[in-house]
Amino acid sequence: MAKKQISIWQEIVKGLWRENPVLATLLGLCPTLAVTNTAVNGLAMGLATSFVLLSSSLFISILRHFIPHQVRIASYIVIIAAFVTVADRFLAGFFPVISQSLGPYVPLIVVNCLILGRQEAFSSKNKIGRSLLDGIGMGLGFSLVLIALGMVRELLGSGSIFGITLLGEWFEPWMVMILPPGAFLTLGFFIAIANWINDRRATA
Amino acid sequence: MTQHTSGSGKMVLVLTLIAALSGAILAAWDSYTAPKITYHREQALLVAISQVLPAHDSTRTVVRNGQTFYEAFAGDSLVGVGFQALGNGFQGQIRMMLGMTPDLESITGLEILEQVETPGLGTKIVHDPSQRSEPEWFTNQFNGLLPRPELTVIKNATPTHSNEIQAITGATISSQAVVRILNQQIESARQAFRTGSGVVHG
Amino acid sequence: MSTQSPASSKGKSKLQEPENLLILASSPHLHTTTSTQSIMWQVVLALLPATAMAIYYFRWPAVVIILTSVITAVLTEAIINRLKGETPTITDGSAVITGLLLALTLPPTFSIGGTILGAVVAIGIGKQLFGGLGYNIFNPALLGRAFLQASFPIGMTTWSVPATLAGSAVDGLSGATPLGLYKFEHALTGYADLFVGNVGGSLGETSALAILIGGIYLLIRRFADWRIPVSYLGGVIVIGGIFWAFSPDQFPDPVFHLLSGGLMLGAFFMATDMVTSPITRLATWIYGIGMALILVIIRLFGGLPEGVMYSILLMNAVTPLLNRYTRPKIFGEVQS
Repeated sequence: MAKKQISIWQEIVKGLWRENPVLATLLGLCPTLAVTNTAVNGLAMGLATSFVLLSSSLFISILRHFIPHQVRIASYIVIIAAFVTVADRFLAGFFPVISQSLGPYVPLIVVNCLILGRQEAFSSKNKIGRSLLDGIGMGLGFSLVLIALGMVRELLGSGSIFGITLLGEWFEPWMVMILPPGAFLTLGFFIAIANWINDRRATA
Repeated sequence: MTQHTSGSGKMVLVLTLIAALSGAILAAWDSYTAPKITYHREQALLVAISQVLPAHDSTRTVVRNGQTFYEAFAGDSLVGVGFQALGNGFQGQIRMMLGMTPDLESITGLEILEQVETPGLGTKIVHDPSQRSEPEWFTNQFNGLLPRPELTVIKNATPTHSNEIQAITGATISSQAVVRILNQQIESARQAFRTGSGVVHG
Repeated sequence: MSTQSPASSKGKSKLQEPENLLILASSPHLHTTTSTQSIMWQVVLALLPATAMAIYYFRWPAVVIILTSVITAVLTEAIINRLKGETPTITDGSAVITGLLLALTLPPTFSIGGTILGAVVAIGIGKQLFGGLGYNIFNPALLGRAFLQASFPIGMTTWSVPATLAGSAVDGLSGATPLGLYKFEHALTGYADLFVGNVGGSLGETSALAILIGGIYLLIRRFADWRIPVSYLGGVIVIGGIFWAFSPDQFPDPVFHLLSGGLMLGAFFMATDMVTSPITRLATWIYGIGMALILVIIRLFGGLPEGVMYSILLMNAVTPLLNRYTRPKIFGEVQS
């Protein structure tokens, strides 16, 4: 891996678009599809995942020289699971309503490929500072897409955004948007738009 | 990438250390959050109890034949009995708090504590956004009903009898599930409450 | 669309995966001399009796829904053609068919806004997103309808009685469909009413007679494969009949199955869609019987009263697989 190091700014920004976990690498799709039926849920899931990602990246980057190669995945999972439990208990203790609406998807952050993927691909090979920046960028990119998905689905499926009713009584909500098919359709359009923009940039 | 194989001793040691460290963090965090989580649960239960039962100034928890009842008192007289009703809805469990008069003949209120019905359809058993003046009309219609012989569901019509519940349009199965669970649980509650003496908790 | 060049089949690679995939994508109407355009307009012609009955039974609301759906479908097609920089395909009539079929599957009381949304989804997502005519996996009209069913579950199941019955004492204001009556109230509807279509239901599905006239015309002109309606309807008679024979009190008889709901419309006009139905004979029989099985299971044991839409969409999904596994042996094939 004799790659030249990219700038610190690039380390954060890459997670927002070029290597965006949802739009470019399609990692962590389960929570992306499952809980984005409202903008608040998207925000909460984005923040919870970012917290776990950032903490795990920090710890694994610190411990990267101590963890034997053969047991690295097991070690990562133990560390990730610990932080997921912390996040889960935090939500249940301080935001019981959000905790209830996210249901089993907070504990399921353990198996989010995005988190394990960043540990294996980045934090285990990079210094603490860079691992943190990577975590911030990826977490931010993940959260922003989840919030955007939540906003679109909530607007079309419930006529509101962040619980504030925007579309009047004339609007008959498209129930499908808050159901699983709506998640797939919206995500499909998001990815299509992202690819279209990339194509235009490439040809321009 | 530098790959160095390590002896099994080191592997065990590192994993043990990581697990122990994680365990310690979790233990500390749990002792901090557990009281809060319990508090929220109890609070939700208390709110539900006070909403489904008639005006009262004290409650106590009584276990009769293994079933928990929440008895509401106004002064010294028993004014209502609440209990939880649990059963399968359309997609998963529905957990409700039902309030009844002390003779368990008339319903004083119903609150749905937990449900995982279809968003936008079955969830109308809790909150129906299309009825802006009364989004909780479904649970409200249980107030004052007499489940004798039992509650029944009717469709597309206004209830005329004191044991009839109007189904939610598009969510007949969820509506029927609520009524079915209540019918079963009212029956078993009547037997548990009337026979045997209770053990008072707190 | 020539997908097999002679050179490639002579080459050292004998029938490798990519080549097979291309064979699957080829349209079944390649070998006929009739153009796509003329077939499509013939299908529109065959739909006219059902359309006329829809207007006769449900009056103005039917006219409004049909016009809205067709115009929206054609406009959507034209706009997407334009965006993609293609030559307009609206004159081939396929968008008109999709719009018309979608309208015929909607309840007479359905909203105009919902109809527009359904037509946009049918053409935009169901057809053009897959690459346009010949590339779609699912019947576009049914995909649009499925989207509406999921979006507006109440609007899509609120029926009105035909104008011919208004004023009579049939079930007050909201007319339930014969299948709904059977499922939720266990009441049967008379065969005569079912046959001519004097019952509640979606616009174009009520009159078995009108659909049969158009459908038989399609079969005679060979614009639809007769095996599909035969295997689908036959399968329903046999499978539905088995249940009925075992428990006539619990299950409806096969004739009721046949005449009620959207089965006739689906069997003649939607399951036979050339793009989304199988090519080989064996696959066609499996396709029809599979639809019949799914339909009977949904009708008898599902939460919904009707299952024609999902039966066709589900079998559309496995059509490429059916084609693949029933492909005739090719001469000169060499085991690798």
